[in-house]
Amino acid sequence: MSALVLPNRRVEDWKYSDLRNAIEPAAVESAPTAEWRVDVSGAVEQSPLPEIMPHGRHGEMGVVAAARATSGVFLHIGKGERGTAHLELVTAGHGRTLIVVEDGAMLTLREAAAFGDFANIAFDVVLGVNAQLDHIREAAAHNDAVRVSDYSIRLAQGAAYRAHFADFGAKLSRTELHIALEGEGAEAHLSGVSVLGDTGHADVTTHITHAVGNTQSTQLFKLIAGGKSRGVYQGKISVAEGANGSDSRQTAKGLLLGERAEIDLKPELEILADDVQCAHGAAVGDLDPESLFYLRSRGVPESEARALLMRAFLEDAVAEIADETIRADVWSRVEAALAELSA
Amino acid sequence: MLEINDLHVAVGGKEILKGLSLSIAAGEVHAIMGPNGSGKSTLSYVLAGREGYEITSGSIRYRGEDLAAMAPEERAAKGLFLAMQYPVEIPGVTTMNFVKTALNAQRRARGDKEIDALGVLRLVREKAKALHISEEMLKRALNVGFSGGEKKRLEILQMALFEPTLAILDETDSGLDIDALKVVADGVNALRSPERAMLVITHYQRLLNYIVPDRVHVLSAGRIIKEGGKELAHELEAKGYAQIVKDAA
Repeated sequence: MSALVLPNRRVEDWKYSDLRNAIEPAAVESAPTAEWRVDVSGAVEQSPLPEIMPHGRHGEMGVVAAARATSGVFLHIGKGERGTAHLELVTAGHGRTLIVVEDGAMLTLREAAAFGDFANIAFDVVLGVNAQLDHIREAAAHNDAVRVSDYSIRLAQGAAYRAHFADFGAKLSRTELHIALEGEGAEAHLSGVSVLGDTGHADVTTHITHAVGNTQSTQLFKLIAGGKSRGVYQGKISVAEGANGSDSRQTAKGLLLGERAEIDLKPELEILADDVQCAHGAAVGDLDPESLFYLRSRGVPESEARALLMRAFLEDAVAEIADETIRADVWSRVEAALAELSA
Repeated sequence: MLEINDLHVAVGGKEILKGLSLSIAAGEVHAIMGPNGSGKSTLSYVLAGREGYEITSGSIRYRGEDLAAMAPEERAAKGLFLAMQYPVEIPGVTTMNFVKTALNAQRRARGDKEIDALGVLRLVREKAKALHISEEMLKRALNVGFSGGEKKRLEILQMALFEPTLAILDETDSGLDIDALKVVADGVNALRSPERAMLVITHYQRLLNYIVPDRVHVLSAGRIIKEGGKELAHELEAKGYAQIVKDAA
């Protein structure tokens, strides 16, 4: 068997997330098949993976996961039905998950990644006409974990995908999304926060394709990096030829807390249609000293003032989570991480 | 209450205050007037403890303690309040949440019991009314999109809530029309008390028609060059800074 070549910094798309530096190829090759604890409610049906999988686009590691995982999870929700699913990885390794939300159905998917080993998961998500998926992923801090999640998400006409990714850092954490807006009126709304300290790493790489016209995408990502951590956001938006009336917005902002931390933001636009609206912005800054002084002059201790400003920085991204309970959960994790960063 | 003695302060290596002395007793309202660049804002910032304002010599004693040794939050907890000329805008923090956080941080530092959200709301409502601050304004992000007058009124609201022992008002009149000025001045006057001292820093005499000081000091090139009663403010207005500086030389 020829040795596996892991994506590394010489590969443009993995420039800021050198997998070869984080794990031995042998460990990747010998990793077992991942296992989940799955809780479902409502009309969600769970079954083994089907023989024939959809042909979604995956990144390098997603292809590896799909090839190596011998089993996986298949969640299916029928036409017009509703349900929720909670996915938690219990055994690390290569994994494969298929999620199918049929026409007019609504699924809320919560995903927790709290393991401390190597995990490489390929997700295939198919949304039917007017289907809706609300997806929340929380990845706990884990200095030894190497985790790659590669999502291929295809949306039919009028379908809506809303996702929030909260990542608290790993040795290497890569969340890669390939989203195809394939039907008119389809929309994807992505948001996320990365709150990193120590030697934490978190990379969110998105590729949204507006394949047809009158599709919409928004992205709002906020990254905070302290210690020797590294936060990465790469977002590529492609608007296909003839996909007129597409609307795409992308914002990524970073807050650097020290000289040894790093944030890399890379927005990218590829527009082949004429009549589209695309707006993107990226900026990295420090905590504003004037704001810090203002708060302190009103009696707020420095560490509390720093935490308050960091929370304020993340506010609009977390506010994108529609579900109040889930939003409160994410806030409590974010606040715990901020307290550590500002101590 | 406040004893400033031969204070020299440098900002970025450049000396701005060059031997300033000032003494304020409890119950008194003092005004510092001076032209642009005389060091007025430097004085307010050094009193509040802003970074980058280096005391090269001299001393500041506040209620008998060395003020320079305290962190800004410690000064606030000990009753010092600076109403800023340019209050900062902080998106993502609601005004109400900020006020509650600050009030309770001060209380905690003093060993007082914290006030719950409802208690703070009640307190704020009561004080906000007199300053024409609406509930809607308190729900907005701190100072974001506030007009100049709204920002200044919010500063005075905080002053009313924190009940400082020494309040410093830095150019509180700048950017205010006459109606807003009256509202702000009424708010300040309501806080005058025998236990509380105030230092009103201003370029123009106008504010001092409404907040009448006990003493007026003229600051020029980092030093107090003339002192007097409230009539000094009128003299300044009539003669202009240039003449007063010339007379004092």
